[in-house]
Amino acid sequence: MKSALTWEIIAKCSTTKARVGKLILPHGPVDTPVFMPVGTQGTLKGITPKQLEELGCQIMLNNTYHLGLRPGQELLEQIGGSHNFQNWSRNLLTDSGGFQMVSLLKLAKITEQGVEFQSPHDNESTMLLTPEHSMSLQNSIGADIIMQLDDVVSSLTTGKRVEEAMYRSIRWLDRCINAHRKPDSQNLFAIIQGGLDINLRKKCIEEMILRDTPGYAIGGLSGGEEKDIFWRIVTLCTDLLPKNKPIYCMGIGYTEDLVVCSALGVDMYDCVFPTRTARFGNALTPKGSLNLKSVKFSKDFQPIEKDCDCVACKSYTRSYIHLQATKETVGCHLITLHNVAYQLRLMRNIRQAIIEGRFPSFVKQTFKDLFGSEEKYPVWAINALKSVNIDLLS
Amino acid sequence: MSGFSFNLLKITDPSRFRLGQLIFSRNKQEKILDTPNCFVYTMRGSVPHLTPDNLQIIPVDSLGITLEHFLEAQPPTSTHFMGGIHKFLNLEDYLLFFDVRDSSKLLHISFNTDKYVSVVTNQGCRKVTVEEYVRYMNIYNPDIFASISDLITDKNPSLKRVKKSVDRTLNWLDETLEQIKEGIHVFGVVTGHDKHEERVRSAQETANRNVAGFVLNGFDLDVTSKERLDLMKISLKHLPKNKPRVAYGLGAPEYVLLGIFEGIDIFDASYPSEQTSLGHALTFLLLENGIQNEQEKFIDLWDNKYRTDFRPILNGCKCYACQNHTRAYIFHLLVAHEMLATVLLMSHNLFHYLQFFKDIRKSINNNTFTNNAMQFIRASNITDEIDIKPNFNYRNY
Ligand SMILES: [Zn+2]
Ligand SMILES: [Zn+2]
Repeated sequence: MKSALTWEIIAKCSTTKARVGKLILPHGPVDTPVFMPVGTQGTLKGITPKQLEELGCQIMLNNTYHLGLRPGQELLEQIGGSHNFQNWSRNLLTDSGGFQMVSLLKLAKITEQGVEFQSPHDNESTMLLTPEHSMSLQNSIGADIIMQLDDVVSSLTTGKRVEEAMYRSIRWLDRCINAHRKPDSQNLFAIIQGGLDINLRKKCIEEMILRDTPGYAIGGLSGGEEKDIFWRIVTLCTDLLPKNKPIYCMGIGYTEDLVVCSALGVDMYDCVFPTRTARFGNALTPKGSLNLKSVKFSKDFQPIEKDCDCVACKSYTRSYIHLQATKETVGCHLITLHNVAYQLRLMRNIRQAIIEGRFPSFVKQTFKDLFGSEEKYPVWAINALKSVNIDLLS
Repeated sequence: MSGFSFNLLKITDPSRFRLGQLIFSRNKQEKILDTPNCFVYTMRGSVPHLTPDNLQIIPVDSLGITLEHFLEAQPPTSTHFMGGIHKFLNLEDYLLFFDVRDSSKLLHISFNTDKYVSVVTNQGCRKVTVEEYVRYMNIYNPDIFASISDLITDKNPSLKRVKKSVDRTLNWLDETLEQIKEGIHVFGVVTGHDKHEERVRSAQETANRNVAGFVLNGFDLDVTSKERLDLMKISLKHLPKNKPRVAYGLGAPEYVLLGIFEGIDIFDASYPSEQTSLGHALTFLLLENGIQNEQEKFIDLWDNKYRTDFRPILNGCKCYACQNHTRAYIFHLLVAHEMLATVLLMSHNLFHYLQFFKDIRKSINNNTFTNNAMQFIRASNITDEIDIKPNFNYRNY
């Protein structure tokens, strides 16, 4: 199908499946592997678009379900989309809205037509999100990358339902492609389903490759499955998906997950974790998270992270942020700014290490900094990295 | 630190409003705070909602810092930081004015004694003695601080209680002036509550001491802004002209103007923060020879009529919010309970409030202040409440 992006691989790791790419989207370039912060309601938790741009963020996520409710499709059409509404001149990605419905609304029911759910307005009437409706909404929002509506099942579900969801997701992809009004300016990504079943995943990929979408997402994971199964599904997908298209793994944001998945060949990630955890006073660092609410930081006069050039680290000590953390909005904004800076720097460091041919040693150092001693390394990460020729324990 | 002075550039008579300059040094550079002006309100040493990068794009010169906000731990953990309070708060270019208590919400608390005052923190009540306060100030090195005062928080105090308050406050001022390092400037707090003769005594006695300026704290008075101003007037008559006067509790624009008529130089700027928390965006303007009736003082961005209003808060405003965002977006952020709402509102409200003071100074300089301010006050709904003529002899001006 039509594509509104170009995608060029700039460097490949000679040991693992990691790669650095340049993705050119309608609102500018995106260097991959990329972490996309989540601005659910058309704003990233207290951060201005200017601040986000200064942090070097090239693409942000908005949630279709939330924007559909507020400010609503009509208003978004009127103002010419979410970029204009929030004054964000760089790239946006929207989800289909389906996942949010299934996870936020208890009584959602999935039929061949779409996702049926109780109206959040009156809790009485039922509403229906179809692939066509999701496309229409996402076309009005106008994000640079949009996602197909997929049939979401929990990754813990087994049996017939997983197979049904996989085949239905393929049928819904076809309906999304048909309903997509703006293929010249918005890139529709397919979402690979099939649960934890290797054969179903293979079948899904086979079918979806035939649809030739501009990019692919690995769906149906991060739902509480064993991490050792999670990485095996990810690596299966990156093996089978076309090498000339970006691959997006949804809902990934922890440091170790980002490093491992990049080694497995994933290019794009999103997660609410860095911004959500900031609201509870947690600042991310290469040595793990610091809970700045804790009194042990009350007389700690170093910055959150020594070499970080974010506003929080350039301006304040941990002691001062401790005073503000979880008590004033400024404390929250400062930690959010730092955490976004941390995530973007981590991705920059991953890319740099791949380009300079030292990705394996970078991965080892990252684990050493993060977990301290080898006994604390998660087994799944050791196994996953071993599959791409990095021995964390050597 | 040296080079602290207050110069009056213009003073009017019989009305008492003034144009001045508070000169101070920061980072070995001479800086000027033009008056009338305000000390920008802070919570725990930050302007509410604004990170330093967002504060930097607003032309702020001076901030008011409250010790009470740091007193959960005693002594405050910040007193262990050896670089001074400006550096600790990342406010090295600004004039910092300290006081003990939060000027915007003087919570009723347990009593003061001859030895200490009681303050409120998130973790309950704390006691501060003069010795402690001055010790903290000697470590912090602010540009100016208000001496500790015995504020009365109970209603209808007796004359005896008020006398005691005046005496204590004067004794504490004497102790403060003895113990403070050279280079930190002390403003004396003028008290006397609602007792005429005690206000006079407090003003005269404070004026007799070696203070750099005066603070009139109206927040201990449980009265209307008008009555507050009337009580302040009694004190103001007995203060020397050549020193700056700070007033708390006159934040709304019409009361700022009335305060300036009485010779107030600096106001506490909690008003923009309070308006921000209500979802209000300030729109009042001191118009040059304009007819000001029916002026909208603020817009309430919670109002559904802004849902599809794609204009900035205020046309022509140069603040970050107005240059980049629409009323509809801020409405959306408020309704969606998103924190960016208060960031944008605060950016605008503070910028606008400072612009209002700039317009006031320009107007005093152009000899149009009396006329412009009277128009503004008349158009405010306080006109009936206030008998302006006897006090403001603007015809002779
Ligand atoms: Zn930082
Ligand atoms: Zn503005």
